[in-house]
Amino acid sequence: MAQTEEHAAKRITIEPITRLEGEGKIDIFLNDEGNVENAYFQVVELRGFERFCQGRPVEEMPRIVTRICGV
Amino acid sequence: MAKRIKLAIGLGSTCSGCDIAILDLNEKILSLVALADIVFWPTAMDFKLSDLEQMQNNDIDVTLYHGTIRTSENEHIAHLLRERSKVMIAFGSCACFGGIPGLCNLTNKKEILETVYKETPSTVNPEFTTPKTKIAQDGHDLTLPELFNDARALPQIIDVDYYLPGCPPVVELIEKLVPIIANFLEKGELPPKGTVIASDKTLCEQCPLTKENKMISRIFRPHEIIPDPKRCLLEQGILCLGPATRGGCGARCINARMPCRGCMGPTAEAKDQGAKMVSAIASILGVENEKDLSEGDVEKLMSQIKDPVGTFYRFSLPVALVNRRVKEGG
Repeated sequence: MAQTEEHAAKRITIEPITRLEGEGKIDIFLNDEGNVENAYFQVVELRGFERFCQGRPVEEMPRIVTRICGV
Repeated sequence: MAKRIKLAIGLGSTCSGCDIAILDLNEKILSLVALADIVFWPTAMDFKLSDLEQMQNNDIDVTLYHGTIRTSENEHIAHLLRERSKVMIAFGSCACFGGIPGLCNLTNKKEILETVYKETPSTVNPEFTTPKTKIAQDGHDLTLPELFNDARALPQIIDVDYYLPGCPPVVELIEKLVPIIANFLEKGELPPKGTVIASDKTLCEQCPLTKENKMISRIFRPHEIIPDPKRCLLEQGILCLGPATRGGCGARCINARMPCRGCMGPTAEAKDQGAKMVSAIASILGVENEKDLSEGDVEKLMSQIKDPVGTFYRFSLPVALVNRRVKEGG
């Protein structure tokens, strides 16, 4: 866990989320009482399989889309 | 306690199949961890970006980096790992050559965002909201890395010492890291810079199938032919990247009677994998009656190859001589 300087004690950033495939980040904002006010989960990566699979022969799909997640 | 090296396993835009390949060492992973303390490996252990930032330069002895460079964060982490590491190894086809995510160089950022956030049938996004590098949400500043227009391989971003290709690398090649690391630990010796930890031969030279140096008159797609399982697939008209691909993978696809798609990257001699494959195809397709063929006939023959760019550069487009689509709509 890392806390950014500008929001010391009020913002907790978990970066990256570990022990999974695909990169994620969580920002947690605390109120003055120290309770969670808001929390945001973000996916920080996009490779574009949805687009670059277009135009590839259909028989090649099993060997391309298996690289979306290899875990 | 014996001296041990500090090992990091870093990642860019990746499927993390490379992490699984390392775990596929099974009990042999013990010989790796006997030599090394793992100091960064986000996929398997709880290390954060801040841990890496707090390290000093050269704190890490060896880094295995897998994944393509696709975002500003990938680039930042790659630079950071380079500064922190004495030895940088591009691990897997994405890091070595750009890999399958490198096929995004056939499109661009705008088209990708349109497809992913607007056009796919499961997307409901009438306002076409797309990721922004910075937004204010409920009074909070949230940031995201920038998505680049192109994919790049690791050596296009930072100085890389060694390459271990494969999608994912085979265990037999990953095992070769153990004596390399042991030698570095005990004697401070390393292989020559730029060494590719694989074979210097082509896949064809290591292929178990029988080659008869036969010419072919047409290209077959898989549903159009039942191949003879003992004969060279390319000589039966099935596109196989064996002539243009580095060996060392143990011909695992061929052993399952699937044609090679080139994940080990270009051969030791020809740096542009697709150009080499075009040359290999040109030397066997329709050449027996080449003299009688008109330009139209040749074009017809070649048009049997569906998606030549996406097939011949399946894993290596970002490091090709022409490494992206240059004509819009082309």
